[in-house]
Amino acid sequence: MANHRVGETGLTESRPPNHHHHHNIPYAVLHGMNVPTSFIHQEGSAFGFGELEEAIVLQGVNIRNDEAKAPLFRPAATLEMFPSWPIRFQQTPRVGSSKSGGESTDSGSAVNTICSKTENQLEPESPISTKNTTPLDHQQEMASDFSRTGTSQNQPVAKLPQEKRRGSTSEKQLDAKTLRRLAQNREAARKSRLRKKAYVQQLESSRIKLTQLEQDLQRSRSQGFFLGGSAGAVGNISSGAAIFDMEYSRWLEDDQRHMSELRTGLNAHLSDSDLRIIVDTYISHYDEIFRLKVVAAKADVFHLITGMWTTPAERCFLWMGGFRPSELIKMLISQLDPLTEQQVMGIYSLQHSSQQAEEALTQGLEQLQQSLTDTIAGGPVIDGMQQMAVALGKLANLEGFVRQADNLRQQTLHQLSRILTVRQAARCFLMIGEYYGHLRALSSLWVSRPRESMMSDDHSCQTTTDLQMVQPSQIHFSDF
Amino acid sequence: MHCQTTGSWGSYMPTTRTAATVVVGDPLERIERLASENAVVIFSMSSCCMCHAVKRLFCGMGVNPSVIELDQDPRGRDMEKALIRLLGASPAVPVVFVGGKLVGAMDRVMASHINGTLVPLLKQAGALWL
Repeated sequence: MANHRVGETGLTESRPPNHHHHHNIPYAVLHGMNVPTSFIHQEGSAFGFGELEEAIVLQGVNIRNDEAKAPLFRPAATLEMFPSWPIRFQQTPRVGSSKSGGESTDSGSAVNTICSKTENQLEPESPISTKNTTPLDHQQEMASDFSRTGTSQNQPVAKLPQEKRRGSTSEKQLDAKTLRRLAQNREAARKSRLRKKAYVQQLESSRIKLTQLEQDLQRSRSQGFFLGGSAGAVGNISSGAAIFDMEYSRWLEDDQRHMSELRTGLNAHLSDSDLRIIVDTYISHYDEIFRLKVVAAKADVFHLITGMWTTPAERCFLWMGGFRPSELIKMLISQLDPLTEQQVMGIYSLQHSSQQAEEALTQGLEQLQQSLTDTIAGGPVIDGMQQMAVALGKLANLEGFVRQADNLRQQTLHQLSRILTVRQAARCFLMIGEYYGHLRALSSLWVSRPRESMMSDDHSCQTTTDLQMVQPSQIHFSDF
Repeated sequence: MHCQTTGSWGSYMPTTRTAATVVVGDPLERIERLASENAVVIFSMSSCCMCHAVKRLFCGMGVNPSVIELDQDPRGRDMEKALIRLLGASPAVPVVFVGGKLVGAMDRVMASHINGTLVPLLKQAGALWL
């Protein structure tokens, strides 16, 4: 039979590349099975075997040219000559070899899939095959198909322009699907490339940030003291907070100066009036930090209230963004001897009233927290934005509490200076300054203390077990 | 601690705040009138947390202040504005009067407590006995 011959010809003479033709040829025919001729003629009204043989010859030519590039030769490859089954044809080159842009099926299932698709697609394609296509078109299509499939193994993308050359809608139908698929693949690949790029960039910037942080840490350690939190820190700190931190570090330097003045003034046994000047200067020095804190509370209340402006040890004792006045007085009471009875009463009264004020402010803050919780806690949220607006309004009250707490601190220090004599006041303020200085030094020591867990094998580094604050830089954690 | 924060206090003239008694007049006058009706008068708002703090302060001292919640008073808005003018600053509440005389907002109250002037004032007004 002619078909059989065709099939055999396909098998022996050529390696038909993947190829489309709009004409319907039953699968059985293509595989060289015995099929009654009548069956074939039924479908192939617009297709002539003459053309087919021409096509085969052309195909053969092309294939021989591309032989190096198209190693595929399969019995099922004869299917490729017939573009009527677009999907299947695309599958065939994949049978047992690398794909050429169509769906992937393994060789075992390909045949079956192709077979089923043949049956499925016979009907839809018959109208297509009856469309106005001249034999010339067919040939052109076949030729372009051959060349396409000839190179298909190596250039799946190159298929596209060749696919586009086709005029008939059956080709377009195939092309559309292929095109879409290829486009999607490209898009997906592009997106994943972009994601990868973004991720790498993020890693890079994090690395840079990390090295900067390490440098800052090294620097502050080598300076021997730990500036509470954020004087030179990288990262998320508001401008108000950063400004306050800078001002606070300057204030600390001034504090050192004032304290040495107090010390020398006490040791030099200055007159009371002279000492009074020094003491009043010191009180104004404290007034200044409270003024700065008012501004800071307005700019960034959370910075103050979380104690990020102080050292860790100070933070441990933090109350409403600063020291707790009654605790300070408790610390002073034992050291302020000798005191007159009146002074003792005054000091205890001061401690008592500051405790009451602290308690009142704490309860007010607790009510604020409760109110805030009630506002933002789940429940029936009618209007989320409104809820947030109300919560924001409540949160704004935090500033008031920090301000009142600072006010309390300021008033306490002033009252102390009123109760005490000049000399006692000078000693008192020196004690306060030294107390917080010790607390800050403790923080610094804590941060740079030797950590045994990090020294697994290298015991030589444990020589610095004695706490020497002066050389924290000896401990090089980078060695590990 | 039991602390009566609303309404009247036993031995003093009770504060009559009814919507029916519409006193036409200057809100400031009303404030002053209300302030003189009790030993310790706190102008407050029920939602204000700082007002709660000042109330707790007085209760903690054993004082039973008379509280006027402006948000619950029909003429509260006018009085609020008058208080801002009186204080020269916002917020209007809390404001404390002791013995009919203005002590001030929270910062003044705290300062006066710390510097030891508040307790004598309270004793003088009869709000505190020792």
